[in-house]
Amino acid sequence: MTNSVLLPLGSKLSQQLLLSVAEQIKLPLIQIARQAELGSLGLTTDLRQIRTLADNGLKLIDSYALGLQLANQHSYELAPEAVSVSSILYEADQQLRELARLYNVSLELNIHGRYEPVMAHRQGLQAAIIGLASALIEALPAQNKGQQTTLQLATHRCRYGIVAGVYANIPTLSSDTLKRGRKLYGMSRQPLVEVSHTSAAGIFVADAIFRAMKLKLHVSRHHRLYGLGVVLQPSSQLALV
Amino acid sequence: MTKQRRILLVEPDSIIGTALKTALEGAGFKVTHVLTAQEAVIEADAKTPDLVILELQLVSHSGIEFLCEFRSYSDWDQIPVVIYSSVPPTEFGASREGIAMELGVVKYLYKATASLSDLIGVVKERFSNSTKLDTYAAAKK
Repeated sequence: MTNSVLLPLGSKLSQQLLLSVAEQIKLPLIQIARQAELGSLGLTTDLRQIRTLADNGLKLIDSYALGLQLANQHSYELAPEAVSVSSILYEADQQLRELARLYNVSLELNIHGRYEPVMAHRQGLQAAIIGLASALIEALPAQNKGQQTTLQLATHRCRYGIVAGVYANIPTLSSDTLKRGRKLYGMSRQPLVEVSHTSAAGIFVADAIFRAMKLKLHVSRHHRLYGLGVVLQPSSQLALV
Repeated sequence: MTKQRRILLVEPDSIIGTALKTALEGAGFKVTHVLTAQEAVIEADAKTPDLVILELQLVSHSGIEFLCEFRSYSDWDQIPVVIYSSVPPTEFGASREGIAMELGVVKYLYKATASLSDLIGVVKERFSNSTKLDTYAAAKK
């Protein structure tokens, strides 16, 4: 069987995701191009910034590829394993620190509390969390109205399981906005116009990865913060140990 | 001593905004960078700019929406606007020139292809020609 049969590459959904990613990837490329050009104008080019922006763009492309691979369950077995949510969030925090600093977003890690491992695809969960968080890091400064923007990578327990998500001190988006965005991405340049000036591809790539993992991204709250999260099921096998 | 020209930069991405501000200030202009349409109106109200540089993709509002609002105030209806956007101009098709004329857009630059030097060039050219009637004012007469 060929890949084209296995992968839903020709499907409307994949095309929409590709268009969304293509639109989004323009942002780091333009940022890099303009930053690099400062040097030719006799001003200082920040090479560290260029590297961070390039890394961010590459992560988005990797997450997109992973989302497609996960969606293709015939050739790429979804392999859930017992995963520590705290370690996933910690790793995401480490990878996003520099981007958050560039956008003057205060990135916090809230993994207090003891939670049992959850069943998830480790790489998929991590890519999705990073995609969500980087989309919000890029979008939030334009909404903060002068206040310091805080983004938390956090976990908490709810009646349906353990929630992992990203939460900000700014009301980000409502369920209706997310629902509308899901219908519009790949067709509109700004499917989440209330939230982001970009195509917010990180959110839709995360959404696709979660769907491939049979999970659903929800608008959610964490204490007094607003954001997006996913409910994960605890690993019952390890809970017995 | 010549007056330092004041530019209002409406750019929702803080990283691109900072690069543009640095480049324009390096070219001798005074730049105020805002991230949203709402901040732009407040800033223009506080200190009238000599020129506006505008991204069309803003949070909550489109740049066109902002321009319509901006032009509705008589104090601001002759301030030249340069669009520096990630929306390709081809998106507007044949209506682009009509929109530009109607809303007083002196130049439309596509971010993916227009460099900082191009932008600075357009701004300098605009100010060097500022004694002439601008396109928008001419169109309105």
